[in-house]
Amino acid sequence: MLISCRYFFYIIVQMKRGDTLGSLEYVILLALMRLNGVGHGTLVRQEIERCTGRDISIGAIYATLERLEQKGYVSSCIGESTAMRGGRAKRLFRVEAEGKRALQISSQTIRDLTRGLRKRWQAI
Amino acid sequence: MKSTNSRPPMLASWLVQSVLPADHGAAMVGDLIEEYYERCESTSPASASWWFWSQACRSIPSITKMSLLRHDRLGSASIAMSVFVVMATLKVVVEQVLSASHVLTDSKQIVLAPMIFLATTSIAGCIARLIRRGATLFLALFVLVAVIVLISIRVCTIPVPWWYELTFLILGPSSVLITPALIWAIHSER
Repeated sequence: MLISCRYFFYIIVQMKRGDTLGSLEYVILLALMRLNGVGHGTLVRQEIERCTGRDISIGAIYATLERLEQKGYVSSCIGESTAMRGGRAKRLFRVEAEGKRALQISSQTIRDLTRGLRKRWQAI
Repeated sequence: MKSTNSRPPMLASWLVQSVLPADHGAAMVGDLIEEYYERCESTSPASASWWFWSQACRSIPSITKMSLLRHDRLGSASIAMSVFVVMATLKVVVEQVLSASHVLTDSKQIVLAPMIFLATTSIAGCIARLIRRGATLFLALFVLVAVIVLISIRVCTIPVPWWYELTFLILGPSSVLITPALIWAIHSER
């Protein structure tokens, strides 16, 4: 009961800070971190597909990246354009310090909540 | 590369770019084209085209929401509403003039109504795009809502089959988005 209350207030504090990450935000930030913190839409999409097998649409990736940019977790800049891209420039996304912090908090939350669940999973 | 002649589906590219703001639109279509050529190498152009179309179609709900929620949405919505009111008034005037001249029978009216509607929505889409790129999406939304309202209050007194009304529902918002996208794409290619 005490632990539940602790987590409840923990989540409230996080929500006030705006540090809570949605599941897709969490996955995309992790993919960007796996790309050494910088990448464009295609790389992020392919990294997620390679690691998880989830085929996420490029539109969902961009919509989430835009949301993360508004929260200050990532920043973006225009990269080079190549003939392979029909002359269109890349939009490169970089994970910012705030994004790393939010990622650490979310990872810690998941670690804390999944601790001790192994036996229950085996029972299922 | 297996096939250097293969080109990414242009209509799908235009569709994505017409919904998105300029900066994101170019980058996203660039990403799709990049992966399209990678897939042409690893699979086949037909499979890559299928993938491109599926990505474009699946992306539209997310990017529509993203475009509508951008910070300049109030300005874009106001422009779209102004264009909508002007073009709707113009359409009503044209229809009144035609019906006053008594040259229109019911059958002629059934044929002419979609043409006038398509021309009006296409012109409105181009005007909105000319003023502000993001306004076309709001205009498409307004047209969709207007058509739904007109169908539900049964404004059409002539008996028509269900698919006739459905045509307005699909073609209205589509023409608002696709016509300016096509014109601007052809213009930029020149």
